[in-house]
Amino acid sequence: MPSKKSLHIESSGQLCIYCGACVGICPLNCIYLDETRITFDEKICTRCEICVKACPVGAIEIG
Amino acid sequence: MGQDRRTDVLVIGAGPAGSMTAKWAAKHGAKVLMIEKRQEIGSPVRCGEGMSKEWLGEVGIKPGKWINVEVEGARIFSPSEKVFEINEKHAGNEVGYVVERDGFDKQLAIDAANAGAEVVLKTAAVGILKENGKVVGARVKQFGETFEVRAPITIGADGFESQVGRWAGIPTNLALKDMDTCLQYRMTNVDCDIRYCDFFLGKVAPGGYVWVFPKDEGLANVGIGVQVSQIKTMAEARNYLDAWIAKHPGYAKGKKIDMVGGGVSISPPLKQTVADGMMLVGDAARMIDPLTGGGIANGCIAGKICGEVAARAVEANDASAAFLQAYEKGWRVRLEEKLYRNWLAKEKLCTIQDATFDKIVDALQGVKLDKLSVHNILKAVHEKYPEVTKEFEAFL
Repeated sequence: MPSKKSLHIESSGQLCIYCGACVGICPLNCIYLDETRITFDEKICTRCEICVKACPVGAIEIG
Repeated sequence: MGQDRRTDVLVIGAGPAGSMTAKWAAKHGAKVLMIEKRQEIGSPVRCGEGMSKEWLGEVGIKPGKWINVEVEGARIFSPSEKVFEINEKHAGNEVGYVVERDGFDKQLAIDAANAGAEVVLKTAAVGILKENGKVVGARVKQFGETFEVRAPITIGADGFESQVGRWAGIPTNLALKDMDTCLQYRMTNVDCDIRYCDFFLGKVAPGGYVWVFPKDEGLANVGIGVQVSQIKTMAEARNYLDAWIAKHPGYAKGKKIDMVGGGVSISPPLKQTVADGMMLVGDAARMIDPLTGGGIANGCIAGKICGEVAARAVEANDASAAFLQAYEKGWRVRLEEKLYRNWLAKEKLCTIQDATFDKIVDALQGVKLDKLSVHNILKAVHEKYPEVTKEFEAFL
């Protein structure tokens, strides 16, 4: 199986403003917002990159 | 809390739609528990803070200290910055008051509590409870402990990033063209006009607009919404907003004192907002006006209907989806036609080129419309630029 690209959500507060835009748009419902922490489910995420576009401040990167 | 418990109506999320639902369910005699994951209701704010006002009486909200400014109307700026003024009565559901949104949300929660609802903070829903295909409450987490709240009626009022609907199997996923990603600065030392909410259309904000909502003399919310399907690179919403500010000296000289963001659905109405034992309301039910991006009025209007139906269902001891159709029908009669019409208008607006926007706004300058409707606007445009209205024949 080809390995997935890496997805990084900068949620330490340097970029992320905890707005939830990525959570709401994720078609697989695998991004979670817990007040000041955003996590995603590595296994479910297909790296569709929709959250990268939805993030207004560029806190989500795919490599 | 801390232990498993029971209530009649469990409301998940204490934003305006949740608080209105809780208030009206409690007022009609139901035992209501409203949970909010944050420690403070209304904060942090994720909103442009503009709203219309004619609907407040209908749902029992009294004007209060949460009003910053009462504006006279809206100004629509075309890409070459021709201006069209609209009186606030006709300007859609983002224009009337500019509010202190956290104060507004707190007031609605106070109203819910005073009507008899219990409000519990720092408590997040982590899943729903289902029995024989029916929703019978939620698993919630508070201070690191997970426990169950059982209720015949569970309300998903958990906002744009709603989980409750998804957990219950109601499709709430959005197409990329049906979402705007938004960013806003509060700026001081800017040349805003306290009489108007301003909207800037065209390529400055593809599939959305730049807004300036005045909070006080020299103080304004300056924000942007961009359609996600039109975004190509990272941080584009911020880049568009920064570019707009840089091009406007009256704002470029300002200082940013706050920054908020968020997602806004600009979708057609959901096909389904109830299931056995469950109702969705507000942004969670995609009730935001797809043309203006305003969600408070619709969330509150639907919230009142939702609360009333919840109380009746408790009284009748019938939480079936069939009984809850009264809510589904009620909010649709009140809101659906306009939501659908404005979604169609949004679809069209997103395809309009800057030159066409300029012609439309130019044709409307100096025209007195007795009633602001798509039809009247097109009639006025047709007189000056008949070629422009050709592509809008579906609306005539």
